[in-house]
Amino acid sequence: MKKMTFLFFLFVGFGLNSSFAGGYQVTLHGQKQTGMGLVGTSITFDAGCLFFNPGGLGFVKDKISVSAGVSFIKSMVKFQKQEPSVYEAETDNPMGTPFYFYAAGKINDKLSVGLAVNTPYGNSLKWGNDWAGKFLIEDIKLKAIFVQPTVSYKINNMLSFGAGLVYAFGDVNINKAIPVSGAGNTDGQVNISGKASSFGYNLGLLCKPTEKLQIGIDYRSKIDMNVKDGDVTMTVPSSLSTNFPATNSVDATLPLPANLDFGASYQLNDKVLVGFSVNYVLWSIYDSLIFDFKNNTSALTDSHNPREYKNTIIYRIGGQYEANEKFAFRAGAYYDPTPTNKDYFNPETPSLNNIGLTCGFSYKPVKKLSVDVSFLYVIGNEREAYYTPDNFGGKFKSRFYIPGFGLTYSL
Amino acid sequence: MKIKIVLYLSAIALLTTCKPDMKEFTPSAGQADFSKYISIGNSLTAGYADGDVYKSGQQYSYPNILAGQMKLVGGGNFNIPYMFDENGLGRKLILGYSTDCLGVTGLGPIPAGPGPNIAQNMQNIGAQGPYNNMGVPGLKSFHLGIPGYGTMNPYFGRFAKNPATSSVLGDAALIGHTFFTFFVGNNDVLLYAVNGGNEGPESITQMPVFQGSIDAAIGAMIANNAKGVIANIPDISDIPYFKTVPTMGLVLTEAQATQLNAGYAAYNAGAQQVNVPQIVFHAGPNAFVIQDTHSPYSLIGGLRQIKANELICLSVPQDSLKCKYWGSQKPIPAKYIMDESEITAVKSATTNFNAYLKSVAAENNLAFVDFNTYFKSFVSGLTFDGIKLSATFVTGGLFSLDGVHPNPRGQAVMANYFIDAINGKYGSSIPKVNISDYPGITFP
Repeated sequence: MKKMTFLFFLFVGFGLNSSFAGGYQVTLHGQKQTGMGLVGTSITFDAGCLFFNPGGLGFVKDKISVSAGVSFIKSMVKFQKQEPSVYEAETDNPMGTPFYFYAAGKINDKLSVGLAVNTPYGNSLKWGNDWAGKFLIEDIKLKAIFVQPTVSYKINNMLSFGAGLVYAFGDVNINKAIPVSGAGNTDGQVNISGKASSFGYNLGLLCKPTEKLQIGIDYRSKIDMNVKDGDVTMTVPSSLSTNFPATNSVDATLPLPANLDFGASYQLNDKVLVGFSVNYVLWSIYDSLIFDFKNNTSALTDSHNPREYKNTIIYRIGGQYEANEKFAFRAGAYYDPTPTNKDYFNPETPSLNNIGLTCGFSYKPVKKLSVDVSFLYVIGNEREAYYTPDNFGGKFKSRFYIPGFGLTYSL
Repeated sequence: MKIKIVLYLSAIALLTTCKPDMKEFTPSAGQADFSKYISIGNSLTAGYADGDVYKSGQQYSYPNILAGQMKLVGGGNFNIPYMFDENGLGRKLILGYSTDCLGVTGLGPIPAGPGPNIAQNMQNIGAQGPYNNMGVPGLKSFHLGIPGYGTMNPYFGRFAKNPATSSVLGDAALIGHTFFTFFVGNNDVLLYAVNGGNEGPESITQMPVFQGSIDAAIGAMIANNAKGVIANIPDISDIPYFKTVPTMGLVLTEAQATQLNAGYAAYNAGAQQVNVPQIVFHAGPNAFVIQDTHSPYSLIGGLRQIKANELICLSVPQDSLKCKYWGSQKPIPAKYIMDESEITAVKSATTNFNAYLKSVAAENNLAFVDFNTYFKSFVSGLTFDGIKLSATFVTGGLFSLDGVHPNPRGQAVMANYFIDAINGKYGSSIPKVNISDYPGITFP
C-alpha cells in the first residue's frame, strides 16, 4: 500500500501525452484493461471499473480492491510540410505519465463505495521554437486530474448500477511565437498558463444476464474546464509593449467531451475471456478555442480559433488468457478515429486515425497482490491536414510506445 | 520481478528509437535546366529594402532564395554583387524613435546609423563577376541594353564589368544562363508615381519603347534555348507608399474649421465662378488641401481639396503637415500627390505593360507570375505559416520601411510565387520555402 501511495504522489504533476488517443483524451486507466485493448465497460476485474463503469463495482468479487498504476508515454509526431517542400519536423515530446489510483470496498452485499483518481485528459507536445509552425504552437502541456467518489448499488445478481461525482482540476501551459521581429531577428513569444476546475459525473450500468456474459453501459459527462484569469506573458520588442502588454490575463474554456460507452464480455471457458466495447466520444462540443484577453489592444484582439471537432466512435476488442493461478496474459486492439477536422487541424493536438495494439500480463506473487504490466503501441496513420486560418499544414504521422505498470491489491 | 520489469522497460525504451517514417518529397527539375540561373530586374530583384541596398537585404532577395531552392534540383552557384556592408549608400531606414515638430516622440522610419562607407560600398566589383543577380535599382525597361549604363546609374556602375561600356544585358550574357527570371517594368511607371507624377523628373515609358525593350531583352534571354519566367508588375495603388497617408488626414476642431472656412471665403467665391467645389471644413477628419495647377484651379490660386481616390506619397514631410499648415492653410505641393489623371495614366500604362508581358510569356512559352493579382490580395491580407501579411505600412509585415520594397518575408513570398509559376510551367518540383523562416521588420 505504501508503495502505491508513493507511486501516486510521484507522478502527480507530470505531463501526459494524448495525441495517441482522439483529441486530448487519454484512456489509460488500468493496466489490465490497457493490456486487452482498453475494453473496460463490461469488465469487473477490480476497482478499475470505477472509471470504466462504476456499475461494475457491484460485481467485483473482492471486499476491498485497490489498484494503482502509471504509464510511460513515449511519442513522436512527424510532420512534412505541404508540397512542394522538403521541410520536415518532429516533436521532441517529454515523456507523459498518466496515472490512476482506485480504491473500492463493499459496505454490504449490495452497496459498494470507491474513490478514483486518474488523468483522463492531457496533452504534452513539444515542437520547439524554431520549427515552421512556431506561430501556431511551440509546446503545450495540458493535464486534468479527476477525483471521483463513487457509489454502486447491486440491484440483484443480474444488475448493478453505479454513479460517481467527478471533481476535475488541471492546468494548461502553452507557448507560441508572435510574428514580430526584434533585434537579431528574434520572434516575439507568448506564454499562456492557467488553472481550472469543474464538476461532472460518471454513470454506469452493468448487466450479467448469464454467469458468463457481462454487458455494460457507461456515460461520463462532459466537463468544461474554464480557465479564469489565466496568466499571459508576452515577450516582444519594447516598442511594441503597448500593443502586446507584458502581462495580461485571459479567460478560455477547454471542453472535456462526454463519453458514452457500450461493451460486452464473455467467459469462453475457465481460462479465456473475450470482450469488445464501442466508445462514442462526443467531441463535437469542441467547436472553437477562444482566448478572451482582459486587456485588448489594436494588435491583441480576442482570438477565436476554430476546431470543429466531430463525434467519433472507437471500436475495441480484447481478451485474457489465465494460464494458471499466477499468470494471466492479455491482448487487444482498437481503432480510434480522429475527431479533428482536416481544415482546422492544429499541430497543438495532432490527433490522427489511430490503431492501437496492446498486450499485457499479470503476475500474482501472492494471492492478494497482482503485478500488472501492459504495453500499448499506437500507429497514428499518415494524414494530410491543414490549419487553414493560418495557412499551415502538410502530412502528419505518429507513433507511440506506452509501457505501463500497476499493482492491484485485493482482500 | 523488479529486475524483470526493468528489463521489460528497457526493451521498450529501445523500441522507442523507431520513428514514424514517411515518404520524403523528391525535388525534380522537370523539363528545365537550373544549373545556371540569372535574374534580370530592378531594385525588387536586387534585394533593395528600407530605402537602400545593403548586404543582408541582398541575401534575402527573392533571386537568392530561389537559387537556394534551385540547388535542390541541379542549380549551381549564384553570384551576387554584394555591398560591402549593411549600411548601403546612406539612405537606409530603420525603425526607431524620433520627436516631431509638436514635441511628440513616436516610432517610425528614421535614418540608420552609423554613417555609410560610401567609398567601399561604391567600389567597382566588376572583376568578381559575372554576376547571376542582375537586379539594378532604378532600372527601367529601356535601360537594359544601354552600353555604359553604369555611368548613368551608380547601382549598376558598382558591379558592371566595365561601367563605361557594359550594358545590363551584355554583362548578363557572360553567365551563359540556362534559366532566367525577368521582373522588369515597375520603374517604367513607379518612378513617375513616387515623385508625384507630372511634377517629378520622371515620365511613364511610352508603350512602343517598352515593347521594343522587352522584345530585345527576352530575345537575348531565350537565346541558347534557355527557359525562364516573366513577372508582371503590381498596381502602384496597392503598395504602402501610396496607401499610408490618408486623404482625409486633416483632423480639425470646430473652432479650427470655422477659422479655416473664413480664410477660404475668397477662394470659395472664385470656386463658384469657375464652377468647381468649394473648400469646406468640418469638425473631425477633412480632406487635405492640395496644389492643383490645372485649369480651372489655376484661375483660383491653384489649389483644391484632395479627392478620395487620389493618393498622397509617403515622402510628404510629416512635420510640414503637422506644424507648417500644409494641407490646411497651404496646399500640399503637387509633387507629393498622385492626382486622378496621373493615377489613370499609371493604371492604363500598368495594364498595357502587363498585357504585353503576358503575351510575350505566352509567345515564347515561358512561365508567368501574376504579381499584379497577388499584390491585390495583400490589400486585405494573406496568411502564411500563421503570419498574417498585408500591404499596411510597417504593421502589415510584408513591405520594408520604404513602403515600396518587400522585407525579407515579402521577398520569400515572392520567391514562392515564382516557384509556383516555374513548377506549373516546366513540370518541375522545386520545393517552396517556409515564410516563417524569414524575418519581418525589426522593431526596437
